[in-house]
Amino acid sequence: MNHSVERLSKNQRIQHIILLVSMIMLSITGLALKFHNNSFSVWLIKLEGGIWVRGLIHRIFAIVLILLSLYHLLWVTFTDEGHKELMAITPRLKDISDFFKKLLYNLGLSNRQPQFAKYDYLQKLQYWGVVIGTIIMVITGLILWFVNQSMAILPKWIIDVTMLIHGWDGVMIFIVLFLFHLYNVHLNPEVFPMSKTWIDGKISTDRLKLEHRLEYDKLLSDKEDENK
Amino acid sequence: MKTNNSIAAHSCSGKKAKTTLKYFGWILLSAVIVALPVKAWSQASPLYQKCLLCHGRPGFKKLMPDGKVLELFVNKSELEHSIHAKLHCTDCHADVMEIPHLKVPGKVNCYRCHYKDNPNGAKPANEFFQSVHGKLVTENDPKAPHCQDCHGGHNVQKVDSPLSTVNHQNVAYTCGKCHKPQYDNYIQSIHGTALLDRHIKSAPTCTTCHGKHLILKPDNPASSIYPLNVINVCSKCHENKELIRKYNIPGGRISTYKESYHGIADEFGSVRVANCSSCHRAHLILPESDPRSSINKANLAKTCGKCHQNANVNFTKGKIHINYKSKSNGILYYIGMFFEILTLSTLTLLFIHILLDLFRRYKSGEIRGKNKRGE
Repeated sequence: MNHSVERLSKNQRIQHIILLVSMIMLSITGLALKFHNNSFSVWLIKLEGGIWVRGLIHRIFAIVLILLSLYHLLWVTFTDEGHKELMAITPRLKDISDFFKKLLYNLGLSNRQPQFAKYDYLQKLQYWGVVIGTIIMVITGLILWFVNQSMAILPKWIIDVTMLIHGWDGVMIFIVLFLFHLYNVHLNPEVFPMSKTWIDGKISTDRLKLEHRLEYDKLLSDKEDENK
Repeated sequence: MKTNNSIAAHSCSGKKAKTTLKYFGWILLSAVIVALPVKAWSQASPLYQKCLLCHGRPGFKKLMPDGKVLELFVNKSELEHSIHAKLHCTDCHADVMEIPHLKVPGKVNCYRCHYKDNPNGAKPANEFFQSVHGKLVTENDPKAPHCQDCHGGHNVQKVDSPLSTVNHQNVAYTCGKCHKPQYDNYIQSIHGTALLDRHIKSAPTCTTCHGKHLILKPDNPASSIYPLNVINVCSKCHENKELIRKYNIPGGRISTYKESYHGIADEFGSVRVANCSSCHRAHLILPESDPRSSINKANLAKTCGKCHQNANVNFTKGKIHINYKSKSNGILYYIGMFFEILTLSTLTLLFIHILLDLFRRYKSGEIRGKNKRGE
């Protein structure tokens, strides 16, 4: 079978592209500032046009990310498609047992792979990691952006804590997205060098059957229902 | 006979030698008598004897046509103890040709001797003309300081002499003759009191920060006190472990500044961002405990308010120089620690996960190409 089905709608793919562009830009401009004590960061910040332009770029893409997040929030709340996707990616108890089953399988202690629905536990972890991370980043980022206004009501040590959290949370998001997500979805041997799903939105039924068996079964039964 | 003759000959020549010796003695004696006062005269006062006939009289002055009074008295003992004791008046006052002077002698030009490459010194002369003072001199500004305005005229001394006007101990007073407000602030500051009242030789004076001959305006990027360079000036002492230990100066000021946003922006060339002197002031630097200090809790809001609009008491609630690696910072230390552990453990778990995934894929033959997509 060489059939494929739609996994990500056009809307989702555009959201994904906006997200990845803003995340990359925010990481480049932000992490160079956090780890400024090396020649690579120095080179990077100079490339970005100096410390002031770096801040400007960081804020521009922060606005992009904030707008995207607001749109995403409305999308999952008020559209059928978004709501369905939100339900599909909501963590469930099964994810915990899936994790252990997969662990046993990977260790070679079990020959049975857990069967996943549309989103497996890693994909859920990545999504919610980014959601929570982004919420923290937006709140702390706004406090730091409008530091004169925030310091009218917040003591200095809270600002210091905010700065610390903003920096480290950025590191965490970077790790989840650029090490974990990139390996899991794009760089693993199955799809190396890249899964095309983020561009055309399609996944082959073979791969769907292998990686998301429950979703495959569901789509199959939906189709059978239609045919009846 | 032979012996008699020889004796006679001897006595004859002995008589001759005695006479020669007598003459020689007289000549020597008179030479000494003549030479002694000459030598004494030249040692006590070189060839300025003649000038001092007038200029040696205390209160010798002249009323100029414009109403100004020129003080013309020269203190002989000052001159005799200066480094130029052996020079003639006209070596420096080269335009004085006759007595009485037909026109008012001009300002002394030190570069006649202290020119570039002169082994007797004057390498600084070159630097001087690049400086803000030297440029004013070239522009013929009447207020511009020449060499003698700082180094002294007739009382010029080696810089390490305690009598020198530019000695480490005295130079602030010398600069203060023109830079009065800065001098007044400096002598009240911790640096000024350390050097002038407590006589701590390592304490900085004007030249420690501003340089000596090559003094430049603060807005000149080459200046030692250009906003981006201030940190280098202060670290000369405040990063010096020996001085920190010896005088119990708070340490880690520079490194914590470099970790702050101010420090990072400074490092990347922002001249707007706060450097050491923005908060601690340039001349009236005082410890936090002093109520006059710009960094005293009572004054901090005002100090921060120079840049941060509406700065209030919140700026005092928390440390400024934060060392995130020190437990004394309480919550900041523990949050930093938490995130470091979280990051490291997340990284470790992710790598283990990725390795396990690869391991299983390898085992099941997926990577090796056979049995692709098989279970």
